[in-house]
Amino acid sequence: MTALLLGALGLTLSLVVPGILANAHWPDRAPAAAVALWQSITLTGVLAAIGVVLVAPYELTRAAGSGKPVASAALIGALAVAALIILRLLISLYGVTRRSRARRARHRLLVDLLDRAEQHRELGPDHLRVLDGALPLAYCVPGREPRVVLSHGVLQVLDRAQIDAVLAHEQTHLRHRHEVVMESFTAFYRAVPGPLRSRKPLEAVHLLLEMIADDAARRRAGAGPLRAALERLTDAIPLAEDVKPDPAGEARRRRLERLAASHTRSVALSTVAAAGAVGLLVLPTVILVLPWLDRALDAWPL
Amino acid sequence: MALGDLEREVMTQLWDAGEPLTVRQVHERLSRQRDLAYTTVMTVLDRLAKKGVVQQQKADRAYKYAPTQSREEMTASVMLDALTASDDQDAALAYFVGQLPPEALAAAIEAVQKKR
Repeated sequence: MTALLLGALGLTLSLVVPGILANAHWPDRAPAAAVALWQSITLTGVLAAIGVVLVAPYELTRAAGSGKPVASAALIGALAVAALIILRLLISLYGVTRRSRARRARHRLLVDLLDRAEQHRELGPDHLRVLDGALPLAYCVPGREPRVVLSHGVLQVLDRAQIDAVLAHEQTHLRHRHEVVMESFTAFYRAVPGPLRSRKPLEAVHLLLEMIADDAARRRAGAGPLRAALERLTDAIPLAEDVKPDPAGEARRRRLERLAASHTRSVALSTVAAAGAVGLLVLPTVILVLPWLDRALDAWPL
Repeated sequence: MALGDLEREVMTQLWDAGEPLTVRQVHERLSRQRDLAYTTVMTVLDRLAKKGVVQQQKADRAYKYAPTQSREEMTASVMLDALTASDDQDAALAYFVGQLPPEALAAAIEAVQKKR
């Protein structure tokens, strides 16, 4: 019974909930809490899968009235599969982190060489780089030695206040280590078997991180300059894997909309979403896993 | 002067020269603005070659150095990298089509193809 409930929880969290949450509009008003909720949904899904693997053999062998040797074998098999799931996630995380670090290191090397230092002395930050090119483009290269990169086009089409808004936006990505959040979701996406994986969490979290950076930039530089800058800039993906660009402009439209004065952040929504994130992680463990563990340890076959 | 700034200035000299330069030539050009040891220039060129952005060629018993890509090519490939989520270059180019003025798109594609 516990295995069935955990299985249902896992499938709901990986197949049903992402679609609903990705289409909802309330996260625009509580982006940070919504990111926490996505993390909690993903993590609880993984824990539920591991739970099924551990609980199901125990419940099946008991229901079939199997003897101790069969129960022992089933337990060993279950532990092996659970270890395999965890190992697969860790290997995926290692691979994504290693590849994106290498890509950023190479990218940083090249922007350092291409930098037109004479064009941005008065703009301030040490780690700012300006590239030739009329295409207005602004992005950051995260890591231990981060960079904020602007194209020459940005300096031409934006005024000083708008440039400051863009810099504040990129600094927020760097200061909050948003690349770590994206990497963990990418690693999870890569580790999940084909039929169960969904791009929705990746894309939704990516947009929410942009909104978090928008909110910080709005506080520093004002909503007006930020809106104007956003309307003029080409989107760059913050050097993350597996997030596709946004050809229809839907993400940009949502970001512009919430920068309008009427669209404010909601403390109540943030609190509810954050509580939901914690509850999702804690409650299944308390309600399902602990009682089962209590019974199962009494009958430990090894 | 920081090593990073020096690397950038050496690259700028090589790009502006338009032809392979010897260590001595690079040293001469940089020395017009400041006092710089010959061996420092040699070290910087060696580092840039190890990073794959500069090519070492042997000509008349002297080594000459040239950038592996022009400034424009390198800029285009850096921007493409920033606009691409993965190694899937086609997706990035399709995205470019909607975002870029046509002439800028043509230039970007041309620069990337030259690199290959």
